[in-house]
Amino acid sequence: MIEFKTAPNQPEELNSILNPVVKKWFFSRFKEFSLPQLLGVMEIHSRNNVLVSAPTGATKTLTGFLSILNELVNSSGSGSLEDKVYAVYISPLKALNEDIRVNLVEPLKEMEKISEKKLGIRVAVRTGDTSAAEKAKMLKKPPHILITTPESLGIVLSSYRFVELLKAVEWCIVDEVHALAENKRGVHLSISLERLQSLSPQMARVGLSATIAPLDKVAHFLAGNENGSPRSCKICDAQFLKKMDLKVLSPVPDLIDVEHGKMHDALYTLIDELIQAHRTTLIFTNTRSATERVIHHLKEKFPKRYAAEDPTIGAHHGSLSKTHRHSIEQRLREGKLKVVVSSTSLELGIDIGYIDLVILLGSPKSVARALQRIGRSGHKLHAASKGRIIVLDRDDMVECSVLLKSAVEKKIDRIHIPTNALDVLAQQIFGIAIASKIHKNDLYSLLKRSYCYAGLSLKDYNEVLDYLSGKHISLEDRHIYAKIWVDEETGMIGRRGRMSRVIYMTNIGTIPDETFVTVKIAGSDHAVGKIDEAFLERLKRNDVFMLGGDKYEFLYAKGMVAYVNATVYRPPTIPSWFSEMLPLSFDLALEIGKFRRLMEEKFNRNRSKAEILDFIDEYLYVDKNTANSIYNYMRQQYLFAEIPADNKIVVESYSDAGRKYVVVHSLYGRRVNDALSRAVAFAIARSQHRDVEIGITDNGFYIAYEKNVNVPAALKLLKSDKLEIVLSNAIDKSEILKRRFRHCAARSLMILRNYLGRQKRVGRQQVSSMILINAVRRISPDFCILKEARREVLEDLMDMPTTKNLLKAIEEKKIKIKSIRTDMPSPFAFKIVLESHTDVLKIEDKAEFLKRMHSRIMEKIGEAAA
Amino acid sequence: MELLKGMEIVNLALYIKKINSLVIGDVHIGYEEALNRRGVLIPRFHFRDVAADLDKTFKLLQPLLKSHKGKLKNIIINGDLKHEFGSISGQEWREILKFLDILSKHCEKIILIKGNHDIFLGPVAKKRNIAVVEDYSAGGIFVCHGHQIPATKQFREAKILVIGNEHPAVSLKDNARTETFKCFLKGSFRGRQMIVMPSFNPITVGTDVLKEKFISPFLKGSIDDFEVFVAEGDNFYFGKVKGLKQPQQTI
Repeated sequence: MIEFKTAPNQPEELNSILNPVVKKWFFSRFKEFSLPQLLGVMEIHSRNNVLVSAPTGATKTLTGFLSILNELVNSSGSGSLEDKVYAVYISPLKALNEDIRVNLVEPLKEMEKISEKKLGIRVAVRTGDTSAAEKAKMLKKPPHILITTPESLGIVLSSYRFVELLKAVEWCIVDEVHALAENKRGVHLSISLERLQSLSPQMARVGLSATIAPLDKVAHFLAGNENGSPRSCKICDAQFLKKMDLKVLSPVPDLIDVEHGKMHDALYTLIDELIQAHRTTLIFTNTRSATERVIHHLKEKFPKRYAAEDPTIGAHHGSLSKTHRHSIEQRLREGKLKVVVSSTSLELGIDIGYIDLVILLGSPKSVARALQRIGRSGHKLHAASKGRIIVLDRDDMVECSVLLKSAVEKKIDRIHIPTNALDVLAQQIFGIAIASKIHKNDLYSLLKRSYCYAGLSLKDYNEVLDYLSGKHISLEDRHIYAKIWVDEETGMIGRRGRMSRVIYMTNIGTIPDETFVTVKIAGSDHAVGKIDEAFLERLKRNDVFMLGGDKYEFLYAKGMVAYVNATVYRPPTIPSWFSEMLPLSFDLALEIGKFRRLMEEKFNRNRSKAEILDFIDEYLYVDKNTANSIYNYMRQQYLFAEIPADNKIVVESYSDAGRKYVVVHSLYGRRVNDALSRAVAFAIARSQHRDVEIGITDNGFYIAYEKNVNVPAALKLLKSDKLEIVLSNAIDKSEILKRRFRHCAARSLMILRNYLGRQKRVGRQQVSSMILINAVRRISPDFCILKEARREVLEDLMDMPTTKNLLKAIEEKKIKIKSIRTDMPSPFAFKIVLESHTDVLKIEDKAEFLKRMHSRIMEKIGEAAA
Repeated sequence: MELLKGMEIVNLALYIKKINSLVIGDVHIGYEEALNRRGVLIPRFHFRDVAADLDKTFKLLQPLLKSHKGKLKNIIINGDLKHEFGSISGQEWREILKFLDILSKHCEKIILIKGNHDIFLGPVAKKRNIAVVEDYSAGGIFVCHGHQIPATKQFREAKILVIGNEHPAVSLKDNARTETFKCFLKGSFRGRQMIVMPSFNPITVGTDVLKEKFISPFLKGSIDDFEVFVAEGDNFYFGKVKGLKQPQQTI
């Protein structure tokens, strides 16, 4: 049973189990037990599965380890310490692993000093960076605590000598559960945990997580199933332990009537003031390019403060080298930096010393993420976290104000945990077959014990087995493709081929290699940045695009380099690529929709401005300035057109330069709008046999077309029970499906990054995956890995289930659809039109497209000749 | 569609009336095996597709061969019959022989021009008694692969050049949609007319002439004045490269 532990244990209880040495050490370092410790330590001591959720710096890690260290010190004292792994600690961050090792080795040394003898407790890290010699040493003298990553755990579980050491593990700690549960690394880990559990049936699982919701679902993910129902797990909720000091700030009083230059000045002045008023500030931007931009402008505007010889400002994001990041972390810990700007890389628990202010530039898009980021400040248990969200436009302002309300009221948005991912399944089955022979039925039950595969159908399971055993390939060629054999008579499964172990060890993992193209100035070797490869595919000669805040004109590409001209004075002709952008969470979107509804009610009832301002002030926890801006923004929309809300989708039509635009105000977040817009566009396109351009944002989407289209009719035509079929068709020719298929093909080891001693460049992977997807389609349109790519797009990238519910609500008239016509985009429509991620729904046959393009060019050539 | 007088696009191949010959460029047999060796475990359809494409080509060719009793004099394979240098597998060997056997049913003679990928061609060709040559010329038309510029008299005296090697293709864009098609290019080289043929490899499209730079010494200069003929289904004339390079107007 999964249950919340409501009453913490008493300090005396903890004291009674602690070894005198451990106790002495503990109180030499800490005054008292923290709440997470009072909640968790006894449970871990009793080998119960537990999930501890608490903000960063709330002594979570020690909570996880205290009972374990205690047990090891006890065994050491009684001379019963065995040569085996007692505890496995897993963290998604390699960088964190070394921190953890030090944080265990140091206390152990101190305890040795206290007890005045050697304890002989060994701690070792095993990651992709561990040398062969160190690995060999571990086999001879196994560490009592093994620190590793999900990927390396996958490897040791398939290494027959190491497996011997994992047969009596007592605890498995999974750190940063919140960073794993949402993606395929977590899915992969969920099976690894079952593999480990089947080796060590008595093992208890300990999950450590920052702010996340819903906790019971995450606990179920951590604990898995036994005999078809969730294993028991105690939830220790200390999420709101730290005090929070949160504010939304606007650089200028009015976000609309302000020139770009003024806004820019005001923004950096505000940031500088905040930095100067604090000791160390951490700034989060949502993208890597924005990170660079902020640093550039701060240095330019305040050279004395930020561009001195020994700079007090630094960048920290995923594209920077490891050495650079380490040096930034080091300087932070030493207190040498005044400010660090990061995209997402500092969200996780790397020790960065004392931060007293976190600035979020632009909306963090989810309450949980906001709290995780802001929780990086006041890194001590009793220090309050201080966060300032700076908003840059009016939609941002409303969004962040509602986010702040949810954060204060402890309403955390729910995460999505992927299930039944067939690519990860294929990788894991291969790994299991490498470790030892196993019966088909036993394997199936092992897999179903994972939360992520509890619903795995026998059909899908068998299809993955068919794929792995090369059933789809003629016998003649099977030796190249088959990774396992399945004996139909005995039901046994085993590995196939001498290379299988090497292939598995060198290609394991779930994080896709992204394809980036370097952008260089033509005629020089000067690189100005990187763009996504898929973005390059859309670029045409002379297209102007934005990169790192500057404009470039695309000239030509050669291999993995795009050559550009840097001196352009035309506006961009192609929208930026938003693949890095975080989607707004559905729960937060609903809260914003609800606020819009409340505002409209006030306007409808002719409430006075003062009354409404009072309401905003009370409802949203914002200052007078912000309340005033929000009032004006909502009022303008109300007077100009119509305010859309959680229970009302407004469909707005207008024309621009002969092109018809239909803006659908459906504020449900991009994951829903991605699905909804494609389904609507598909319904329209199919009746017209022409491509439809769509633009998707968190707040809605638009459809652009040459003729008038009836979007409300299309919305009503879409039936919730047909959504899956419609969407599967709608994404069939999309770039996103091809791209995700490449990731899935790599995870399921159809594309090997490392093979025959060669490492494969991602650029080549992209080209070959195009060929591969075509070939796979010919085997079957429902080939398991293609099916998985489709599932990933529809369920993980988009949110089909929620979209389905939305359509149901429209069918049941719980959500109204209101149609309006405008002469120009309404205030709420601006951002939807301007900042959309555009895509095209391909309906037109390729041959038809060619014919149409041909007649167009003939017209043009004809004109030129005349 | 006629590219030049007496020179006609037939599917992805080029029929030259004057010498009753068909030119086929860059087939790249073994493409999938090469991908397999690089760790892309793609199932094999290439040869099946090539055979189907040949079948289609010969069907389209029939009306043009009436005056020749339905039979070609020569089929000229313009280089890169096999993909990649390096090794040759048993299957690739068998596929090349099968390919040559299909062709020999439709012509009196097969002429194999060496490409930059064709190191292993000699022994296979020998098996069917076919000579491998550097280039072929007749009636003022000079056919060569195009990875290097020949220094022969025949080359200097030729009026029309036909090359392969570069796999030209063209991208067409309408609003947010872009599609790429295989194409023939017609232009000139040192005062002679030149035709660049697309690849006969059904699983790759080729190099976008609007975006990418070519490596062939024949195409070192500007190709802005080359004319584009899309080779897909019916053939379509698309005017000059420079016309397509201009920002395509979006409505």
